[in-house]
Amino acid sequence: MSAAARLPRNTTRQTDVVQHGTIARILHRITGSVIVVFVLVHVVAQSVLQVPAFAAVKAGAPWLPVVQNQSWIHALLYFSIVFHTLYGLKLLLTELGVRIGYRVSVWAIVAVSALFGLREVLRYAGL
Amino acid sequence: MTTTTITVTAEIRRFDPAQDAEPHYQQFQVTGMDNMRVLDVIRSVYENQAGDLAYQFACRIGRCGTCGVRVNGVPVLACQERCKPHMRIEPLTPFPVLRDLVIDRTEVEARYSELHLTPQRTQAYTGKAEAIEPALAEHLCHLDSCLACMVCVSACPAVAERPFDGPAFVLKLRHMAKHPADHGNRLQQAVDGGMLECFGCDLCTQLCPADLSPAQAIREFRKELVFGTGKES
Repeated sequence: MSAAARLPRNTTRQTDVVQHGTIARILHRITGSVIVVFVLVHVVAQSVLQVPAFAAVKAGAPWLPVVQNQSWIHALLYFSIVFHTLYGLKLLLTELGVRIGYRVSVWAIVAVSALFGLREVLRYAGL
Repeated sequence: MTTTTITVTAEIRRFDPAQDAEPHYQQFQVTGMDNMRVLDVIRSVYENQAGDLAYQFACRIGRCGTCGVRVNGVPVLACQERCKPHMRIEPLTPFPVLRDLVIDRTEVEARYSELHLTPQRTQAYTGKAEAIEPALAEHLCHLDSCLACMVCVSACPAVAERPFDGPAFVLKLRHMAKHPADHGNRLQQAVDGGMLECFGCDLCTQLCPADLSPAQAIREFRKELVFGTGKES
């Protein structure tokens, strides 16, 4: 039977389904914000640590190197960079005509991004 | 055959602009078969508990698109969606509400009218049948099966945040753009309707009761925006 002649689904459970698009959109937004915040904080932090004129500030912030060496911060950052890049590429490719399933692609990108995040955690653990 | 029953607690958004200053929620309990649709619950409430409840439906088989409501925040066709033990039933957003679950579709119909959704011909129709490739004809029929139920528009996050008419309108424009007899500038109409504001999240595709893909229509238009339509206007 042709798609045109077929009746729509006769039962839906739309209120139970995972809304992949919502998850992807929110994650894309959060990871983008993480990257922007990281760049700003990174510039300030490196200035404090490296520029001699900020030596007094550096002396007053002994916690800064400790924060910089938190594995979860690196994991979050790597996850964000990879997710934001891959999902952005996915959007670009689909608009150029490449057919990519919206359900599988979101979870595939989350999995790849999580691997990069996990790699950072393991690296800090010495594994 | 055994049948099981379910008792549904439905919180229905009530609002009568002639009487109420603010919308409020009224709770009802409905017992029936566990495969009831949301529309069965609403009809039961109307027939047994609240005769002044305003709602609308026509076909009950998911073809007319008039019974769209939001259930627990998700836009659905009430006649198709299975009921849940606890449901908050609201009219579709972002449309003005006439009463209770009935939305005002005046603006929707006006928008469809403005788009001139019939083939815009360069020469007058001769009255003779025009051959269309069977595969294209089937595709056009599929695109034409949009119910105009506004479920996708209600679900679309870009409609809520940005100046975007909604996926349903772009789908209709795409239908016309693919029609061989149409020579209107559908791409420009889609851009004017805010097509570029789409996030590409595919939520409209996931929730479409007619299994259409408005997101794909938007992507095809965007591709044409970059590479050209390949069609004389």
